Amino acid sequence: MATHVYVPSDAEYEEVRGQRLLGFLFFLISDCVIFGDFIFSYLYLRNASPVWPPPGIERPYLYLAAVNSIVLFGSGATMHYAMEGMRHARLRQFVWFTVATIVLGSMFLGGQAYEYTHLHDTWSGSTFGASFFTLTGLHGFHVFIGVIFLITVLIQTLRGTYTQQRHFGLTAATLYWHFVDVIWVALFFLFYIY
Amino acid sequence: MDHNATSATNTGSAVTGGHIHPPPDTFIKKYVFSLDHKVIAVQYFITGGLFFILAGLLAELMRAQLSGPNNHVLSVATYNQAYSVHGSAMVWLVIIPLLTGGFGNLVMPLQIGARDVAFPWLNMISFWLFPPAGILLFASFLYGAPEAGWTEYPPITLQMPFGTSMWCLAIFLIGISATITGLNFLVTIVKMRAPGMTYTRMPLFVWATATTAFLSMIATANLSAALAGLFIARTFHVPFYDVAKGGAPVLWQHVFWFYSHPAVYIMILPAFGLVSEIIPTFVRRPIFGYKMIAYSSAAIGLLSFMVWAHHMFTSGLEHWEQFLFMILTMTIAVPTGIKVFSWVATLWGGKIRLDSPLLFVLGFLSTFTFGGFTGILLASVPVDIHEHASYFVVAHLHYVLFGGSVFGIFAGMYYWWPKMTGRLLDERLAKWHFWLMFISFNATFLPMHWIGLLGMPRRVATYDPVYASTNLFVSISAFVLGASMLLFLYNALRSARKGEVAGPNPWGARTLEWMIPSPAPYYNFKDIPIVLSGPYDYGKPLPYANISQELATVPMH
Repeated sequence: MATHVYVPSDAEYEEVRGQRLLGFLFFLISDCVIFGDFIFSYLYLRNASPVWPPPGIERPYLYLAAVNSIVLFGSGATMHYAMEGMRHARLRQFVWFTVATIVLGSMFLGGQAYEYTHLHDTWSGSTFGASFFTLTGLHGFHVFIGVIFLITVLIQTLRGTYTQQRHFGLTAATLYWHFVDVIWVALFFLFYIY
Repeated sequence: MDHNATSATNTGSAVTGGHIHPPPDTFIKKYVFSLDHKVIAVQYFITGGLFFILAGLLAELMRAQLSGPNNHVLSVATYNQAYSVHGSAMVWLVIIPLLTGGFGNLVMPLQIGARDVAFPWLNMISFWLFPPAGILLFASFLYGAPEAGWTEYPPITLQMPFGTSMWCLAIFLIGISATITGLNFLVTIVKMRAPGMTYTRMPLFVWATATTAFLSMIATANLSAALAGLFIARTFHVPFYDVAKGGAPVLWQHVFWFYSHPAVYIMILPAFGLVSEIIPTFVRRPIFGYKMIAYSSAAIGLLSFMVWAHHMFTSGLEHWEQFLFMILTMTIAVPTGIKVFSWVATLWGGKIRLDSPLLFVLGFLSTFTFGGFTGILLASVPVDIHEHASYFVVAHLHYVLFGGSVFGIFAGMYYWWPKMTGRLLDERLAKWHFWLMFISFNATFLPMHWIGLLGMPRRVATYDPVYASTNLFVSISAFVLGASMLLFLYNALRSARKGEVAGPNPWGARTLEWMIPSPAPYYNFKDIPIVLSGPYDYGKPLPYANISQELATVPMH
């Protein structure tokens, strides 16, 4: 079959971009609800328990998580500079800052894996472990998906899929990455500070 | 084109109408993995219809068991499985997919003058999550189907065999599917309305679909999370609901009902919407209180998030919580009442044409309003504590979900069948279907109110012999009710073979879907129409520009 790629006009592109952007924002809202459900469960169980954490359960180590948080927030900053590069058609800036974001995201996942293997509490051990591993696991899964997402759009950029004007895929990846950052702020506060 | 039309271009959203792809050329692309919203709607109708038959047969089995006080048609365990799967299937595999997936897909893009939904590919995925979910749910009978009712409260759920995990997965898939559909529809309605179609010129069915889509997007995402939580609690012994490890079974009731109360409105708002379409068409006058009907949909949508704990009055809430949720729940009667009064005011003094869609709407109005009244009774804490888990609740629920949603589904089916298939249904059979269904419905569920008030508990396979004669009457009525569905099935098959050709606008309606041929062509609109005013001004010229004139003339019956 002959392949003919249809190139939409600027007006058509803008219309489709608006639809996709709204759709992606709605997806992030519904994703927020999923985190919200488990956060509600955590607060409910915490409220139902006379002492918190439950007796015999130690809180996870704050400083490791703090370092890990800085790594993740740093990746938010590099992501921002990557997109600045794309907006000003500086391809090298985009590529290297995206690579930095991918590396920092992977480091965060490594830190989380280290934390998981050095905790005494387990998923099925207590209500704290139940909430902790479910929520941070769900978040870690999101970071993992985000890393895959970034690798994909990086390859697509190198193959010339995106231009300075037309790069919705990159916008979506950026939004998703910042969203995952913001969720981590809530989780960090709930599990390590509050 | 006059200057009105040009200025109207700025108020709607869609400008180009999108790029036109060539129509699919293979059977698979055309009918199986179709991207066309009209084909996907038919897929929902057929799949949902099959599940409707299965869920209905389960109900008939239950009524056979209950026709005598100590029957042995079903074992006690099988009876528990039957009502659990019947409830789950009716909610998630029949009413929600038919109203949102079916009518939403079939009608909404046509009514806003769009060529398809915003993300046709997501629409296809959303449909294809639905049959596997249904198969999982019904296949759970092979592995010990769930026995804790459609609400599946722990701790008993944690002790059940693998069938309950299948239930979790099935409803999880439905949750994802409904969330995707909600997102897709909301983007479509916000971004793809024809030029000139402002929010207050949208047909009321679109308003209802938008509210439903919002609820699906928010509440159903929560359902998926809740189901994932129950699944990991069962499979990996994560102690969310395990009292021994500090968990709380009541937590499940909170997260479940935080979805399932909005779900009640996901199941009724589209029916409200299609009632608002059908009434003006068959009384030939503008809908009374357009804006009030539209905004009351939104009000119901918002309020529905604030009433979930009225399902938990006997689960140990604080008194102030009971009082708060009682008041909030009763508040919902206000926007709902606004709708009912507006519909009655539209009917008042109109030239009523009693065709089958309007008959079903009138059936809907009477039975749903009655169910609404018992709803207010159940919302008040003292009554609810007395009536909780009795047949009174079963009666109330079937008056709103069968008398409301299922009557609404049939009203919409008789109304939009010509648009979907291009052929008419037999009107005489339709009227027989209505009267048989209406009478046997009331004969089935009305007596349940009294036996419930007398104290007969729900979800039990046997009962005190004092209720025997009423239950026998209910069972016989339920068999007639089931048989009445065969009339529709026969009518549909007959219409497909030798139904009269409908033409573009058999009812003389004014919304955009009737301005194009029946069935709608692949791209719906040759040119994107331009909307000049609202759709219900009967007696005035049609408010559209840019549509072909020979179709736009409204025939007079």
